[in-house]
Amino acid sequence: MAANFWTSSHSKLLLDQDEVDMVPSMDKEKGLTLEDFKLIKIHMTNYIWKLAQLIKVRQRVIATAVTYFRRVYTRKSMSEYDPRLLAPTCLYLASKAEESTVQARLIVFYIKKHSTDEKYRFEVKDILEMEMKLLEALDYYLIVYHPYRSLAQLLQDAGMADLTHLSWGIVNDTYRMDLILIYAPFKIALACIYIATVLKEKDSTSWFEELRVDMNEIKNISMEILEFYDVYKQVIPDDRIIAALNRLTSKA
Amino acid sequence: MAIAVPGQLNLDESPSWGSRSVDCFEKLEQIGEGTYGQVYMAREIRTGEIVALKKIRMDNEREGFPITAIREIKILKKLHHENIIRLKEIVTSPGPEKDEHGKPDGNKYKGSIYMVFEYMDHDLTGLSDRPGMRFTVPQIKCYMRQLLTGLHYCHVNQVLHRDIKGSNLLIDNDGNLKLADFGLARSFSSDQNANLTNRVITLWYRPPELLLGATKYGPAVDMWSVGCIFAELLHGKPILPGKNEPEQLTKIFELCGTPDEVNWPGVSKIPWYNNFKPPKPMKRRVREAFKHFDRHALELLERMLTLDPSQRISAKDALDAEYFWTDPLPCDPKSLPKYESSHEFQTKKKRQQQRQNEENAKRQKMQHPQPHSRLPPIQQTGPVHPQLRPGPGSPSRSMARRGQPKRRWLQPKQRRPRQQWWWYRWWWLWRLCPVSPQGRGPPYPGGGGSMPAAGGPRGGAPAGYGVGGPNYPQGGGSGGGGGEPGPNMMGGNRNQQQYGGWHS
Repeated sequence: MAANFWTSSHSKLLLDQDEVDMVPSMDKEKGLTLEDFKLIKIHMTNYIWKLAQLIKVRQRVIATAVTYFRRVYTRKSMSEYDPRLLAPTCLYLASKAEESTVQARLIVFYIKKHSTDEKYRFEVKDILEMEMKLLEALDYYLIVYHPYRSLAQLLQDAGMADLTHLSWGIVNDTYRMDLILIYAPFKIALACIYIATVLKEKDSTSWFEELRVDMNEIKNISMEILEFYDVYKQVIPDDRIIAALNRLTSKA
Repeated sequence: MAIAVPGQLNLDESPSWGSRSVDCFEKLEQIGEGTYGQVYMAREIRTGEIVALKKIRMDNEREGFPITAIREIKILKKLHHENIIRLKEIVTSPGPEKDEHGKPDGNKYKGSIYMVFEYMDHDLTGLSDRPGMRFTVPQIKCYMRQLLTGLHYCHVNQVLHRDIKGSNLLIDNDGNLKLADFGLARSFSSDQNANLTNRVITLWYRPPELLLGATKYGPAVDMWSVGCIFAELLHGKPILPGKNEPEQLTKIFELCGTPDEVNWPGVSKIPWYNNFKPPKPMKRRVREAFKHFDRHALELLERMLTLDPSQRISAKDALDAEYFWTDPLPCDPKSLPKYESSHEFQTKKKRQQQRQNEENAKRQKMQHPQPHSRLPPIQQTGPVHPQLRPGPGSPSRSMARRGQPKRRWLQPKQRRPRQQWWWYRWWWLWRLCPVSPQGRGPPYPGGGGSMPAAGGPRGGAPAGYGVGGPNYPQGGGSGGGGGEPGPNMMGGNRNQQQYGGWHS
């Protein structure tokens, strides 16, 4: 959806970092730490990404699905909303909301193809049932704005089209964090451009100055992204994810 | 996630859910009914406020929450304007609900979902269909201005309504007009590059570019519909009541002339132009057909009913038209008369009975066309053509009828051969066109596979809050080669239910 971000529900739903980093009390009782909480979200983002690549949907659909997924856990607990089911359901709903519908049975087919783990296996009826709960958890706000559109416009304006590939990739990586719930999409786009210019050693100071944005905020976002890269450089071992997910199913 | 026993679901989980229960409302009466679902008038128990509840049918068990409802919710959550129906909230009913006949609802996972709208007393079609109803010219200007204002807002927000027609224009007793039923609406990007389905907009209000198979289009499609409604208000009856696509196109060409590369550059590149190109060119005769309209009205109408969508007037420019700024000026909505709201089930039934009688009478008369019951507006001021002015009562009626005796005899003869050759081409086209690879949904518009049911779009006009048909294909079926999973919006499905609307 184009139109204006500032009048949208998305802008009104932006949260603070601490609001996003709150482990739902029900999960906390089961011993889920903030680190576990983040790991599960990263893992499930990757899962959505993999499923989406198998199904071949547009980038926008993936981004919207991940946003839905992360938004749900600012309000609901993982013990109530099984992430292993919520992830494909978000992909399903996002595909509808972004006008490129994927059939539920196709998603189920690829889930089975992707994973042999019984705990990931769900049927069409599970997805449809979760879709209802998801819609309610989102309070039926389905429009999400993403950095991609502003990214393309900004790069064109700056005459740095050669950075498209790199900065686009960085934007993709930001969905492994909760940035989309916290900052306006164009600020995320600017932060990614900033990182890209630093990496490629391009001088962009004058262009950024002309934009009249709060450069401190952009730099802060960039720092967060770089920190994230630093912390999650290495592949997260599967057993950590499994341990975290098992905590959810155990009795408190 | 195991499914709880239906009764328990509510107890266990509702406290953590966002939506309120439908139990917060007391259903007063059903005001809309169809195969697609129901619309109820209801009272919020806590505040006593009257609202409209539109039930979202969840009977497509394979594809979950209907895409039409998703579109509508998505768009209505974004649009906030005084001329657009306000979606107040969404409520759920927890258990398996029973319908009026005591049978459990089709959805086995969960109850139903209702969209809660502000309540409106009438819709434009219902209002103008009231016996003896006459709109005044300031009243028409007032409605038209509100319609254009609401539509302009949609277009600025990059939303195409794609189903503008009288029954989707709701009117309250303060004279406010609001656009409703966004079940076919969708957002568009200004570059018009996306492929959209051309199977939208009720037939009588569908623009030529869609009938010719265009899949790239923009806000101009809505403006054509506005033009049709405008002319209908002034003329007193629908101006292009086609029975099927080819006939609709023929009617448009007869009124607006045939398109060619001069009056519509690029028309020959539209997919089905060559299939539907009429054998001989026809002249545009909008001015002759509506010469009884005043000058400014005619000027505006000409610009709305422009064949070439790129030359068609925009909502913004239409609001600047002389018509709205010359005497008689549009009146204040509040000054409009209040009409008794009369959409009760009973009235509907009464009307149904009345129509039945009319039908029978018609059948007895055989081929004599029924004069339309709707009347043109009262001309208060402005240029009056005495010989054409349709006055109240019988004298002018008989005069009007005296003006058309030839047509009555010519019509059947003229129509039949033409309809046939159009018809076959059209039929083959739709057959060849891949609609629904999964084989769900009707293979082509008209639903049943035969001629679209007679009666035209008006017959089953679902009023206002119209609930998306349950039969829309939701899968990857792309309409007419468009990239959009399109609802198969056409005569058949929606019109099966004769009195589907929320008519007054």
